[in-house]
Amino acid sequence: MADEVPRSWRDPDLLIKALPTVLLQTTCFLAPLVMTFLLTFQRSRNFQLQWSWDLWTWTDVFSKPHYWTILGHTIFMAAATVAICLIIAFPIAYGLATRFKAWENEIKVLITFAFITDATLKIYGWALFLDKNGMANYALSSIGLPPEMVAFLYTDWATLLGMVYSLSAFAIFTLYLSISNIDRSLILAAYDAGAGKFRAHWEVTLPLCKPGIWAGSVLIFLLSVGAFLEPKVLGGGKSPMSAELIRQTFETRVNWPLGAALTLVLMVVSVFIVLLFSRLIGLKRAGLAA
Amino acid sequence: MIARLEGRFIDIVLWGSLAAILIFFYIPIFTLIAFSFQEGRFLTLPFEGISLRWYGELFRNTNALNALWNSTLIAIITTVIATAIGTMAAIAAVRYRFRGTDAFRLLAGVPLAFPQLLLGIVLLLWFSVLGRMLDFSTGISTAIIGHIVYITPFAMVIVAVQVYNFDATVEDAARDCGASSFEVYRYVTIPLLWPGIFSAAIFAFLLSWGNFYLTYSLAGSTRTLPTFIFSGIAIGSSPLYPAIATVIFIPGILLVILANRLRRT
Amino acid sequence: MTAILDIQDVRKSYGSYAALKGVSLSVNQGEFIALVGPSGCGKTTLLKQIAGFEEPDTGRIAIAGADMAGVPAAKRPTSMVFQKLALFPHMTVAENIGFPLKLRRTDTAEIKKRVGQMIELMQLKGEYLTRYPRQLSGGEQQRVALARSMVSAPKLLLLDEPLSALDVKLKKVLQAELKRLHRSVGVTFVHVTHDLEEAMMLADRICVMRDGAILQLGTPADIYYRPAGSFVSGFIGETNLLPITISERTSSGLIYQAADIVDTDGRIAADLVAGKVAKGPALLMLRPELLRVLPPGETADGAIAAEVTEMFGKGGTVQYRARTPGGQMLVVEIPGTSSLPMRIGDKVRLGFTKKDIYVFGVEA
Ligand SMILES: Nc1ncnc2c1ncn2[C@@H]1O[C@H](COP(=O)(O)OP(=O)(O)O)[C@@H](O)[C@H]1O
Ligand SMILES: [Mg+2]
Repeated sequence: MADEVPRSWRDPDLLIKALPTVLLQTTCFLAPLVMTFLLTFQRSRNFQLQWSWDLWTWTDVFSKPHYWTILGHTIFMAAATVAICLIIAFPIAYGLATRFKAWENEIKVLITFAFITDATLKIYGWALFLDKNGMANYALSSIGLPPEMVAFLYTDWATLLGMVYSLSAFAIFTLYLSISNIDRSLILAAYDAGAGKFRAHWEVTLPLCKPGIWAGSVLIFLLSVGAFLEPKVLGGGKSPMSAELIRQTFETRVNWPLGAALTLVLMVVSVFIVLLFSRLIGLKRAGLAA
Repeated sequence: MIARLEGRFIDIVLWGSLAAILIFFYIPIFTLIAFSFQEGRFLTLPFEGISLRWYGELFRNTNALNALWNSTLIAIITTVIATAIGTMAAIAAVRYRFRGTDAFRLLAGVPLAFPQLLLGIVLLLWFSVLGRMLDFSTGISTAIIGHIVYITPFAMVIVAVQVYNFDATVEDAARDCGASSFEVYRYVTIPLLWPGIFSAAIFAFLLSWGNFYLTYSLAGSTRTLPTFIFSGIAIGSSPLYPAIATVIFIPGILLVILANRLRRT
Repeated sequence: MTAILDIQDVRKSYGSYAALKGVSLSVNQGEFIALVGPSGCGKTTLLKQIAGFEEPDTGRIAIAGADMAGVPAAKRPTSMVFQKLALFPHMTVAENIGFPLKLRRTDTAEIKKRVGQMIELMQLKGEYLTRYPRQLSGGEQQRVALARSMVSAPKLLLLDEPLSALDVKLKKVLQAELKRLHRSVGVTFVHVTHDLEEAMMLADRICVMRDGAILQLGTPADIYYRPAGSFVSGFIGETNLLPITISERTSSGLIYQAADIVDTDGRIAADLVAGKVAKGPALLMLRPELLRVLPPGETADGAIAAEVTEMFGKGGTVQYRARTPGGQMLVVEIPGTSSLPMRIGDKVRLGFTKKDIYVFGVEA
């Protein structure tokens, strides 16, 4: 099916197909990243960028614990998001792969639509729902509870809810793909060997969908360290996360070098964590391959 | 007996969690739809009445209409370009071997796992620096470029699934029947990949149509529906914004259903 | 007779794996050639080189006298029926069959006529024309694939195990069909199969391949009675291979010793010996149906003493297994109506005629 013999880059067939992507992603993805890196060696004075080529910005980054506290908080929230997403996605993905056959397409449409609808809208909807005068409190007070029961909006919990909301579909899809690739007869073999249903899944399904778990986790983790709307709109900006800090640095303080440095720190630290974990789990390539 | 009970229990757990997650997913969506029909000025309960008043407002609001037009334009251009590039990349990534196959796949796919806000910022820096050198400023075209960078990998992944399940011997068969390379594409490859290409196009459209982060960073002073809503959230909003949100949902749900239909046939 | 296909020393490697190690083959106009060999021996690879899907690393392929180097598949006068059929799933049966004509810019009325003829030739029902391939049974899909390959009147039809996915009964029907088609259209067939029985049934000549090389090319009778070695001899039916030692090889024949064989003068004529046999150990082949039970007192050109250990009825014949005193197992097949039935435990003498034996060397 795939080529048996490697093609040369002079093959016009290959050039036509691969070159646009290569050009696009090198000029509009890699090059900007490199430039971001170079920007960190400049300075910002009076809201103006100055090409100074020194380590001033980096000294600033490493000497202010404030940035690192926010980074730690961001990582923690991202990790919590990953864990919650996996837990809630597993039964859905498993059901889709095995039991929901009759409704599979309808369910997929519903999930896909909710997933593909833009984050701003959904987060806005949540804000309205959770608002002091919103749906949730209205429902609670109409059954006789004090309306302030839900003082939920503008807390870290609301942020977490928003992040899980925005990203759990990734876990559902990746888990679904790997569970549906599992050979059913392996599970039957486990029953045959005397395992109960739970046991069989624990021993067979779970280990076999490791690549799916891993791919979903990496995706969700990387995307949630960049979460910005959720902490701002639902968390009320009270405990800012890195993305918000970065945005402020660019927009409010107009300090490009610092913003660039903070962006790189966030990226490098998150990728480092992903690599560290993949080492630990011994699944070095699965994330990239998926 | 125990196995039966266990099976029952698993069914209850599975369907129960499905119901729970669908409710969870649709809470904000239905909240927005509900508020869009609010008669009164405020986004609070109880409703003062049900009306289409805010939809009327929406179509009289030139800023909103402008945003609608911008969203559409950006989405259409992005869809065409991202789907075309993504389709070709999918064929190269799945079917071809060449020096640097792995690097190519990584480069083509990695923007998927890159937070949009950061991508937006990094691109903003890039366009600002380039713009200062080449004398242009951010606007609708830089927003489109940003959308293409982010959405092409999605299109590629969706088409790649189709390419992966595609039995390439039918291409040999076509060649054997006397088809030139171009005719093989025209009569066999493209028609057979079409469901994947089409759903990729739909996804591309929707991702671009509703995109906030990239537009927010890259569109300069141009407003699209999502950024228009965001500005509305900030200034103590009226049911106009839920009405816009509801309008944004409509093509979405239609297209997702359509894509799903086509993929099944 | 002219060679429609001439292959000379074709080699093809995938990476470091040599799939074809120097294949030469010449096929005559109108012939039905069967290409047989175990799975992975390079049959499909050879067809791909002929059809032009791949270019051989070295060697020459000529079709109807024209060198095919650099000629793309679309321009070769060949047509292939694929192992997995490769019908276009998004086209109806009529569109599938008419596709080669459409590419040749044939006008629609003509296409319609020719498709109709093919449908008739393949004995398909007219109502299938508007169906999609997935709505047909395996055998019908097979016929559509054949029709698509033949509609453009190729000089050379290449069939890659077209029957291997079918059940036995349908396979028999389509085998007969192929034979009929071959006779009626007069096109040259190169038919790949891993089933030597099928090859025996269909082919004028059989080409046996193994590990990317041709072991033997010959008529079905040659392959059966005069195999080039133990691999070919074991590929179809059962056979008895007795180890012998050749003490002398001359131009008129050879002299051998064999522990189990009695009554023999120890000589074999040269035409019963495969080409490369030299002094030393060799194998003597005797097909099971060429052995007979000798009544007491009767002699033959050669005889082997053995004890019957097993018997199986096979319908018209009975198959016995017998062991020689030296421990060699023999298979014997005699008509069920034989006047000398054997029972398990019987000690018998199995005789054979000199002209029925064949000798070849011991293969690695
Ligand atoms: N595209 C390919 N890439 C690498 N190896 C191949 C390829 N095609 C065939 N081979 C190898 O070449 C050998 C011959 O294959 P093939 O001609 O398909 O065998 P068969 O006789 O069963 O048709 C096999 O060992 C196969 O693994
Ligand atoms: Mg084969």
